[in-house]
Amino acid sequence: MSTYVYGIVRDNEVLDAAKLTGVGEPPAEVRSVRAAGLAAVVSTAPEGLRAKRRDLAAHQEVLVELARHGSVLPMRFGSVADSEEEVAAELERSRDHYDRLLTTLEDRVEVNVKATHIEEAALRLVLTEDEGLRAENERLRASGGGTPAERMAFGERVAEALEDLRARGSEAVVRPLRAHAEQVVIGPPVDGCLANVSLLVHRDRLDDVAQEVNGLRAALGELMDIRLNGPLPPYSFVTEAAQTG
Amino acid sequence: MTVMQQSSGGGKSSGNLYEVLDLILDKGLVIDVFARVSLVGIELLTVDVRIVVASVDTYLRFAEACNRLDLTSSGGVGLPDLVGGTMESGSHGKAKGALSGAAEAISESFQRGRDDEQDKEKQPVRRRRTAKKEGDE
Repeated sequence: MSTYVYGIVRDNEVLDAAKLTGVGEPPAEVRSVRAAGLAAVVSTAPEGLRAKRRDLAAHQEVLVELARHGSVLPMRFGSVADSEEEVAAELERSRDHYDRLLTTLEDRVEVNVKATHIEEAALRLVLTEDEGLRAENERLRASGGGTPAERMAFGERVAEALEDLRARGSEAVVRPLRAHAEQVVIGPPVDGCLANVSLLVHRDRLDDVAQEVNGLRAALGELMDIRLNGPLPPYSFVTEAAQTG
Repeated sequence: MTVMQQSSGGGKSSGNLYEVLDLILDKGLVIDVFARVSLVGIELLTVDVRIVVASVDTYLRFAEACNRLDLTSSGGVGLPDLVGGTMESGSHGKAKGALSGAAEAISESFQRGRDDEQDKEKQPVRRRRTAKKEGDE
């Protein structure tokens, strides 16, 4: 029977697996596979598992709970091993690597910040900043919107100006946050956000990050919506790439 | 800890699931010898925004949205200063500065928001009058 894997912790971490409920319907019972001083937190993989809201939430909940008790290496959603024996073999095989990672991430959590332009405010700003665009906008408006070709050309210039504004906005959001992080991973522009940044921070510095974000909101809140998510299991900091970056 | 979940929708400890979907689906540890369940369709969430932005539909939408904007209102005036200032000053010191004056800034922005609304209320009247005049001539 295949085994769904949530994450890897140290064997001596508090593992009150009984409190945890896993993926599937009804939720699978969560247990541990112990080997090499490590423990993989797993459950029996349900048939036909897909990325449904319920299962994504279950995956996240298990990891959030584990992170509350200590260092955890979160698996990407949907990781399935053939058997518990395979999981144990993997813990043995890569024990040094996992041990190092767990040490690095001790008392650290991920905080993710996403910022999205408030479109009307952003458009207003690019027109305010660029006299040429503003004049063209007035001209098109005076002529009842202009021809389709004119509207297209104008819209393309606006899109370019917005892209430039996004890049500057991203810098404005990310730069002050870097000061609080031990590692930084820039994520993709999900849902059109202008900044998607994950910070690895010490638990003691969570308040600093929250304050920094409040400061950013005070300064930029009319132009962009800034969301702070965390503390989270360190999803963005468990790959080799993240370690060197 | 709960302080941090500022954007969480539900009361769950995981906060707002949708907000962190990209992390759960695209980050996290991957072990080569393990399989991964099919995520057909899910990858669409993280489509590079530039592909969406550089489209005819988007250009036309931006053009129309700009046409609808009324730049004579005071709405845009404060923004360039804020953005430019934050970025040009190396931002960290500035952000700290903004922090100490955060309460002030927030009440100011509320004030500004109200002014905008008042302007918006006035503006259409003025525009209608202009339009009528043009129509009369």
